[in-house]
Order: sequence, then C-alpha cells, then structure tokens
Amino acid sequence: MTIEHHPDITTLLAFSAGTLDDPYATVVATHLAMSEGGREALRQINAIGGALLNAEPEAKLTAGSLDRLLDTLGDDDRIDVMPHDERTVAGDVPLPLQRFLPNGLEGVRWKWTGPGVATADLGWGKDGRSRLMLLRVGAGRPVPEHGHGGQELTLILSGAYRDRFGLFAKGDIADHDEDVEHQPIAEPGEDCICLVAVDAKLTFRGRLMRALQPLFRI
Amino acid sequence: MYALSMTEPDIGRAPPPAALNDYTALLLRVAQSRDKPALAALFNHFGPRIKSMMLKLGASDALAEDLVQETFVSVWRKAGQYSSQRGAASTWIFTIARNLRIDQLRRQSNKPYEDLEKLELASDSPSGSTLVEQNQVIDRVTIALELLPPEQQEVVRLSFIHDMPHAQIAESLGVPLGTVKSRLRLAYGRLRPLLEDLQ
Repeated sequence: MTIEHHPDITTLLAFSAGTLDDPYATVVATHLAMSEGGREALRQINAIGGALLNAEPEAKLTAGSLDRLLDTLGDDDRIDVMPHDERTVAGDVPLPLQRFLPNGLEGVRWKWTGPGVATADLGWGKDGRSRLMLLRVGAGRPVPEHGHGGQELTLILSGAYRDRFGLFAKGDIADHDEDVEHQPIAEPGEDCICLVAVDAKLTFRGRLMRALQPLFRI
Repeated sequence: MYALSMTEPDIGRAPPPAALNDYTALLLRVAQSRDKPALAALFNHFGPRIKSMMLKLGASDALAEDLVQETFVSVWRKAGQYSSQRGAASTWIFTIARNLRIDQLRRQSNKPYEDLEKLELASDSPSGSTLVEQNQVIDRVTIALELLPPEQQEVVRLSFIHDMPHAQIAESLGVPLGTVKSRLRLAYGRLRPLLEDLQ
C-alpha cells in the first residue's frame, strides 16, 4: 500500500500538540495506523513538544510533592506490560477505528442518504462541534458535498475516488479547508468507503430545519 | 526581527549540556532497573515544568499538582515500554503529560493516541536513533525554537504548551486562521531539517 496523500503538516502539528477535536484526532490516528511514513513524521514532530517542555520555566511544586509520589508508588513494582495485541495486525479495520466498529466494516448499519450514497454516524466531538462518520459512495458515483465549512478530513478505507487533486485510494487522506472546491467521483468497480470528520457547528448554523436534515445534501 | 531569523542556529558548536543527556539515561534506568532515585531526579527536573505547562491551561494550583503526580505515576508504570524509539526523555514525558491533559482538561478521548502507541510497540524495529542522538536533536530544536521569529514562536507555543486549537489561536491573536497556519508551516520548515536528523 503506497500512500500518496498525507494530512497537512498543520494538522499533524495539532495532533501532536493534542488540540484536535476527537473526530479529527480519530481520523488522523487511523491514517497513521495505515502509514509508517506518517508515524515517522509524527515521532519527529513530537520532539517539538519535548523541546518546549525542556525549555519551560519551573513552577514551584508544593513541599513534599516528591514524597507524595514515592508514597503513592510505595513498593508497587507493577508495570504496564503491553500484551501483544492481535488486533493491531489483524483485520481490515485499523486499531484506532476498532472501538467504533466492533463488528468490522461488514457490521456497519448504513443509513441511505441519497442515490448511491449511505452514511453511518460514529460520534461527536466535544460540545457537538464536530462529527465523525462513515461515507459509502457507489462505484462510479459522485461523492456528495459533505463539508459545509470548516476543516474536513476524509480518509479512504476501501475503494478509491478521483478529483482534481488526483487519485485517493486506501490510506490516503484528503485534508481540505472550507474554501477548497472539488468534485470527487468514486472509481468504477468498487464502492468507496471513507472515514470523515467534519465541523458540525457550521453545518447546523442557521435554520432549525438544517439540523433535522441529513448532513449530506444531495 | 528578520535578521535574527536569518541566523541559522550554530548547531555545530553547541554541545548538548551533559545534564540533558542524563535525563534520558535516567529514564532508561527507571525503565530497565526500576530505579527510584532516577525517577526522583526526573521528577525534580520535569515536575515543575509540567506544572508550569498545566497552569498555563487554566488548571488550578491543586489540579496542576495532581496532574504532575499522575504524569509520574504513568512514567513509572509505563517505563518498561520506553526505548530510544520513543524519543528523548523530554519528548516521551511530554506525550504522557499531553495525553493526561487531553483526558482531564480537555475532557476528550486520548484513545487515538493510546492506540497509536500500541501500534508503535508492535512494530518497533531493532534499529533507530541512539539516546545521545535523540538528546542532541532536542537540544538543537530547543535552540532553533528560540531563534524563530517571535510570531512563529508564539503560535508554536500557544499550540503545544497552551493547548490552544489553531482556530482559538487565530481568535486570540486577532488574525485569520490561514495566518496561524502559515506561521506554523514556516516554523516547521525551519525545524524540519533538525527533526529529520532523528531518522
């Protein structure tokens, strides 16, 4: 699997800093689970946090702080041993997505949202500001407009689509700001299934009716 | 301001302070022989820095203290997973403190990060940077960060230390989101050659 399309560097920086809403962090982590090169980039970026922590001024700890730590640890020599986890290597669902899809992609309960298009809600970010969902587009069909503003992260889980930025296949991520216009078309032969994080705040701004409509306008 | 930014950090002549090397070596001692005095030394160095970071996010003094404690309980418990592939001590401890901050201050899930750690552990290759190399990178990046133009340094700090999403940084600085992102890109462009030395 060769991954051609990576997250914007500012998205990786925000992931490393820990400031992304959960839906976006989940899409980035799922992409990284599929991309050794992406994980290497993240390892490098994490060193920025390490350098900043090193350079941080010292805030005085309360007296006895160290003793408190040592008391807590006591004679406890337990260590967290990460058991070899078969799930990290098996199956078609990358580890960061498995908590949302306990029964795999086959077990998804799809909701019809238009001709050749189905979606499945996977969750919301903090305060309902953003949402995580699956999008399935029939082979050869246009991918519906799904960002109504704000950042939109789309990771291809299976199949492929093509737009003016090129071919997006399994593991590729499309990281677009609101001002990007594109019309992806699913490649023939196979449905295209994507994991998507979108800004929900902007989606539902305005009339109450909007909130009652499916997110994907056809 | 730009004259400063044009000066490349003199990475060739600045040897890493010995003390910094020690912290990664200390962490390795905790990892390999459950060495409590080594843990105490790490606590004395990083504890006050983590507290400072947590206070900047609006944590009360008591909560910041608790988060320092929890960070080091995790350091102790997870030390067995530490190796040079995990980065320098400061990098590894930063990620532990960051995960706690996501969980307790942002009240978001840190599962995406934990899942990635599991994957990393499952796919560790025997080769990789040595601890000394990891420390040198941290020292060089520390210097390079200080040499960034102030407006670039500011956005990097607000993101990594003050835990502010990019949109919030834009709001608080009164600049468009695109400006925050372009400053981050410029900063990363300067740091990248140093970071890539990790490979």
